[in-house]
Amino acid sequence: MDGYINEVVNDKINAIKNKNNVYELGRVLQIHDYILEVSGLENAAFFERVFIGNKAEGYINRIGRKSLTVVLVKKSSPVFVGDEVAASGEMFCAYYSANSIGHIVDIFAEDKLCNQFFSGREKINIETPPLPIMDRTRVHRPLYTGISSIDLLYPIGRGQRQLIIGDKKTGKTQIALDTIVNQRGEDVLCIYIAIGKSKKEVKEVYSELFRYGAMEYTIILAAFQDECAPVLLNTPQAGISIAEKYMLQGRDVLVIIDDLKKHADNYREISLLSGKAPGRDAYPSDIFFTHASMLEKGCQHKNGGSITILPIVEIKNGDITDYISTNIISITDGQIVLSAKNYERGQKPATDFGLSVSRLGGAVQTADLRKLGSIVRRELLFYLETSVVFELANMDGMGNELRDKMSRGKEILARMNQYRFEARTPQEVVKLFEELAEMRQ
Amino acid sequence: MRLGKIISVSNLRVDILLENRKIDIRNIVYAERDGRRDYFEVAQIDGSIALAIPFGSVNGLKKGLDVYLHEGGLQMEYSDRILGRVFNAFGGPIDGLTLQSSCTKNIYNKSLTLSEIEIAGDILHTGIKALDFFAPMQKGFKMGLLGGAGVGKTVLIKELINNVYKGFGSNSVFIGIGERSREGKELYDEMLESNLLDKLAIAFGQMGESPMARSRVVYSGLTLAEYLRDEKKQDVLLFIDNMYRMIQSNSEISAELGHMLVDNGYSTTLLSDVSEVEERINSTENGSVTSFQAIYIPADDLADAAVNALLSHLDGQVVLDRKIAEKGLYPAIDVFHTKSRLVTPEKIGKRHYGLVNEVIRYLAQYQELEKIVAVLGIEDLSEENYNIFYRSRKLRNYFTQPMFVTEQFTGLAGQFVEISAVLDDVEAILSGKYDAEDESTFSYVGAINHG
Repeated sequence: MDGYINEVVNDKINAIKNKNNVYELGRVLQIHDYILEVSGLENAAFFERVFIGNKAEGYINRIGRKSLTVVLVKKSSPVFVGDEVAASGEMFCAYYSANSIGHIVDIFAEDKLCNQFFSGREKINIETPPLPIMDRTRVHRPLYTGISSIDLLYPIGRGQRQLIIGDKKTGKTQIALDTIVNQRGEDVLCIYIAIGKSKKEVKEVYSELFRYGAMEYTIILAAFQDECAPVLLNTPQAGISIAEKYMLQGRDVLVIIDDLKKHADNYREISLLSGKAPGRDAYPSDIFFTHASMLEKGCQHKNGGSITILPIVEIKNGDITDYISTNIISITDGQIVLSAKNYERGQKPATDFGLSVSRLGGAVQTADLRKLGSIVRRELLFYLETSVVFELANMDGMGNELRDKMSRGKEILARMNQYRFEARTPQEVVKLFEELAEMRQ
Repeated sequence: MRLGKIISVSNLRVDILLENRKIDIRNIVYAERDGRRDYFEVAQIDGSIALAIPFGSVNGLKKGLDVYLHEGGLQMEYSDRILGRVFNAFGGPIDGLTLQSSCTKNIYNKSLTLSEIEIAGDILHTGIKALDFFAPMQKGFKMGLLGGAGVGKTVLIKELINNVYKGFGSNSVFIGIGERSREGKELYDEMLESNLLDKLAIAFGQMGESPMARSRVVYSGLTLAEYLRDEKKQDVLLFIDNMYRMIQSNSEISAELGHMLVDNGYSTTLLSDVSEVEERINSTENGSVTSFQAIYIPADDLADAAVNALLSHLDGQVVLDRKIAEKGLYPAIDVFHTKSRLVTPEKIGKRHYGLVNEVIRYLAQYQELEKIVAVLGIEDLSEENYNIFYRSRKLRNYFTQPMFVTEQFTGLAGQFVEISAVLDDVEAILSGKYDAEDESTFSYVGAINHG
């Protein structure tokens, strides 16, 4: 039996070899949007870059027994069945140029504003091996956002992954922008990764950052919804790989991913189109791993560099318990939850104090912020919880102590209000809340 | 020994055309290219084609590469040299130190027979009020710590390591499955700094690693625990964070093998996978294995098939709830779902048993009253309900506790509380002794000391 199979296989191989050089050339068999079924290319490697004439570019996503699957990342004119597919002999990768700092670019290092490639392009591996556990050290240096509810209550440290989650139009991107602007003079390279955002939105982000002088140290890495879906899938990974390159040189990098829900939806699309079995909510089974392997690159490296990641997730009706959200919450080191209800009440930023968490907490704060933060947080949470239970109860029926606590809580909440691009320094935050904490003693 | 050639490659699966059929499921094979080896585990054999799961990335693999057998399969160190060390899922040390191996063992050990299993054990205190009160433990127990994302499972596991491992004086094993690498490194650093590492063996397959690593690390870790139990004849503490991630990685693998997925995408072999692992975690006459297993609840769905598959093996469960965490009450324990096989009048005594029932009755009533008070105010409550309302709030606050491992976050010193003090305090609150006290004085304290 074995001998017979070998014979059949060898005959077949020889027949193909003699006909034409299919080891390096293949032909398109089927086309499903940006996913191609290709015959031939017997010598191609998994994830190798391929070209379909000068019409399209893609990479090999599956090597089957009889044919292989190619997903396209670029398509300039229609691809037809029977078109020739050529292997390039190199792995698919992203490109990056140090000159792209200050610009809107894509993963091919093309300037999206003038559609030209940057000079000095270098290859960036999209998939890099996980960072060894022993190369990490404790996250302890603060990264100030300039927003008092974050810096005081749910602080972010360099190397931390902090999720920003909330409904549409609750100010998620704004928190990211405030944070980038606040890095001025801090020697932090910022990478804003836009996935599936409209071109208008990305241009607005660019002009805001430009206006506040933040583009000098920021790269906007964008993949728009009208590009091939595999580009959207690979863009955040490529962005993190760029950050990793800088971190390994000892630099601090801040990465914003706006947003991961769109990324998950794109991956679902590709996965279902390629005929993979759907898992929970029809997402591919490895959706958690896809996000985890990416966000796990965020860390404080022992060489002194760090990657701080602020992924953004959009939810519906304030429900943070859906599949993708809980997945990401269980990866990140905490979350800032924004509530539409608070937003409508005029609370800016619309932080939901009960649901927001920082798992690193005081470890990334200075001693005075840490001490003040734990008091203020306790007081505020007590006020919010109690005011719900006693919503309609008569305040006079409360003891004096309780009444004082309630009015203090109300004042804390009021002082958390802060408008966009009105950064407060840590000293200002301490000053603002210190007297409230003192009133307690 | 050459086995055959690769004939297809996808993300998590490599098909091998066999020339030599002397191969079994769970054999380890490898291919060589550019001087490095890619390892695979055989998962399925269809006639002359073997389906194998890669240990790492498949980028760059080609059709036609030769595949060889890795003799011995997956091996884990099986000697005293495991103590103080950190291993990956495949048995290699990852703490940067060298390992002079003296004896190794295949990680796929058989489970215990009925006659080998020992079920008796002494009561074990954790010093955490809510755990000792609602879900008391004994040696040899399997305690599940369940919760959705970000409600405090990992903090609880770390507090248990702090309270139980430090007081236990015996060797322990920590298995990190699919959790944050940052936390893994912090655990290592903390143990090293407080000179506790020499009694601990660690195995990590964290969330950034391949599905194969996350799926198999539990077997590697159990081999460590079995060495301590069977060869050193010790009582072993086993901490697993997080069991759910093993099932999750199995479903990633299963989907790629083309198996029919069940119930929210879990692998077809969900129940047998869980049994295979859980049946190895048991006590024998040589020594006991007491395990704390964190279990993630996906999408806050307590009815999830994977969670329930695990629960059927446990002796007790502590459920953490988002609604309670939202109110700033930590540990955020949902008392209605937290239970232990030990809560019977024979095992913990009539007094403790009676108090547990009474507290649950109060808190159940409180939930109803909370809705009434929000609408009608407190004045309209009967005297009995008025007392239940305020005493329940005190009880609720009393079961919060400052933890040793969160001192830097809360600014409060950790507290270890004896169960006798908890019973006295609960009895006093229920009897109305503290009715005049402000409820906030019960929050984040150890035992009550009101003179």
